Amino acid sequence: MNVFDRLAAKPLFMCSFRPFFLVTAIYGVALLLGWLGFLAAGVGVPAVPGGPIVWHAHELVFGFGLAAVAGFVLTAVPEFTSTAAFGRRVTIAMLLLWAGARLAFWLSGAMGSMGEMLAALLNSGFMAALVVLVAPRLWHDPERRHLSFLWGLAAMWLAVTGFHADVLRGVYPMPWVLAGVGMMMVLIIVALSRVSMRIVNDALEAERLRRAAQYTDGRTGGLSRRPDEDDDELLDYRARPPRRNLAIFGVALYTAVALALPGSAISGWIALAAAAAVLNLLNDWHVGRALLSRWALMLYTVYWSMALGYALIGLSLLGVPVAPSAGLHLLTVGAMGVSIFGVLCIAGRTHAGYALDTRPWVQIAAVAIGVAALVRAASGLPGAAAAGLQAMSVVAWAIGYGLAAVFLGAVFVRARPDAGTGCEEVMEDVDAKA
Amino acid sequence: MRLLRAWAAGLPAYLWSGWGAIASLLLFFAAWEAVSLVYGPLVMPDPRSAFGTLLGLVESGAAWPELAATARRALTGYALSVAAGSLLGLLAGLSMTASMMSRPLVTVLMGTPPIAWLVLAMLWFGASDGTPVFTVFVAAFPVIFIGALQGTRTLDNQLRGMAEAFRLPPRMMFTDVYLPHVVSYLFPAWIAALGTSWKVVVMAELLATQDGVGAALAVSRSHLDTAATMAWIAAVVGLLLAVEYLVLEPIKREVERWREHGA
Repeated sequence: MNVFDRLAAKPLFMCSFRPFFLVTAIYGVALLLGWLGFLAAGVGVPAVPGGPIVWHAHELVFGFGLAAVAGFVLTAVPEFTSTAAFGRRVTIAMLLLWAGARLAFWLSGAMGSMGEMLAALLNSGFMAALVVLVAPRLWHDPERRHLSFLWGLAAMWLAVTGFHADVLRGVYPMPWVLAGVGMMMVLIIVALSRVSMRIVNDALEAERLRRAAQYTDGRTGGLSRRPDEDDDELLDYRARPPRRNLAIFGVALYTAVALALPGSAISGWIALAAAAAVLNLLNDWHVGRALLSRWALMLYTVYWSMALGYALIGLSLLGVPVAPSAGLHLLTVGAMGVSIFGVLCIAGRTHAGYALDTRPWVQIAAVAIGVAALVRAASGLPGAAAAGLQAMSVVAWAIGYGLAAVFLGAVFVRARPDAGTGCEEVMEDVDAKA
Repeated sequence: MRLLRAWAAGLPAYLWSGWGAIASLLLFFAAWEAVSLVYGPLVMPDPRSAFGTLLGLVESGAAWPELAATARRALTGYALSVAAGSLLGLLAGLSMTASMMSRPLVTVLMGTPPIAWLVLAMLWFGASDGTPVFTVFVAAFPVIFIGALQGTRTLDNQLRGMAEAFRLPPRMMFTDVYLPHVVSYLFPAWIAALGTSWKVVVMAELLATQDGVGAALAVSRSHLDTAATMAWIAAVVGLLLAVEYLVLEPIKREVERWREHGA
């Protein structure tokens, strides 16, 4: 057995999400610690075309963010389309491509135009490979119900390619990272609509059981049930397409207009419209007490961050004295940070054969990431102590993703506890034994 | 009471679904902003300066007397047409002959442009409140009349037969058989007529009176003050939207609910 085969045989490569989710968490911490070094002492950030802020933005969206997207898509698309999982070789090849893209971009300042060309090829190539891998499956799915992933990924490829094309042309490439953030928001809305169907309905089921238990207690204890409780029987949650499509339309339109007319008041109104459309989406989510369960609430806050983020961006474009970066960081640290953390926890554990984590570290980490988002946004308000708040935000983020790297990393590198051999969800026989 | 509680329970979800409407309106503002960017502020001031002007009008107290005058005229004409239109429409609906006779007349009323009535009204009533009130009345009357007529014409005879077979007392007959059915036709007609009244009154004021929103629009037009023009338009449309979505639409949903249940 050669080295490659021995490496591929490790449990870490049993399913595509495992290495990608692991590097997501670790890279998330590493990037922000480097950024903290830059904020505090001006060190820790490589020289890349466009400067340190471009490095920070590019690596967090196209490095950290796309690692999570790749892990999710490579695992979820075979499941959604009922096709075979991607093999260990594909996983390792994609991981190497991702790592090569990171390395090339880090060195692109030092290596000159050669480095820029290499970074462009590897980064654009990674996204293109991802699209090429999943496109046939999404397209040949009988009802093509998941094509929105394909459009989102293709648009993301466009953003990555646009960025590197601008670097090669010598133009400031930041607008493309912002477009990438918009596409990330679209992918989050699309992905969460799938994940939420399960999470919210599980929470509703738990709530039904709780009510039923209360009813039995009430009867034995001589208490009677409220007579009208039959009326508000809990209905199943459905992520309805019309509201979702309006939200996606709003976000995509803002992204396109902001790219074409940066800083215009037109995009300000559209950002406000996107915020309202995302809030409108939450109508489906207002299912009562079940919303307060751990996972449902976590996903719910993702939409709130997204809505508040677009609202702040819109207000800032319309002349309200708020730094544009305040809203932007609610989208990235808040919506992207919390949703990726949620997906790591939910998809990461269930597809590794474990039940959802009920330990308290999950809450601590989720709250830390949420605090990081709020504190970072607050630093952009007029009169805020920006430097201190930004440092605090970095530390909170590092705590959140550090916990994820430790507790979830242990799951990703370990063999499955059940009879599964790949990406399957928790297998029944484990429950039977337990 | 039960109805009230059901209504109150559905209220948060109803209000929350307003975000969808707000999103569409904000996209409309974006299009407005784009037009003003292309054609310049003289042709089309941007939304912020229009709202800024409106805010100035409201804060200085200049907006309220005009809005009050407009509302008074619109509501007077509207109330008259609701009373006359509902009553005459219901009566006409009771008789096949009367409804046959009234249909062409209503078509004539509907087909006559409100501006023609306005010219007649200016000849008859001069620059008094009578002109806008009459124009509103004539514009809104046929809409309500048709609604009331259809409400009575489409009463289910079998349902009435069954109610009679059960010897329902007249009062119950009215409240449980006739009223819900007729109201479900009347109410949408009332809402449509309210929108018409609100638009027609501004038009009538523009040409015929010295005060009110319409007159204010005429002044801002003569000053080439497009920002003030847009501000007044925003005020009129905003009020209509608020009344329609916050007051009338929730009531309409309740009134029409029985139809969905197939009762």
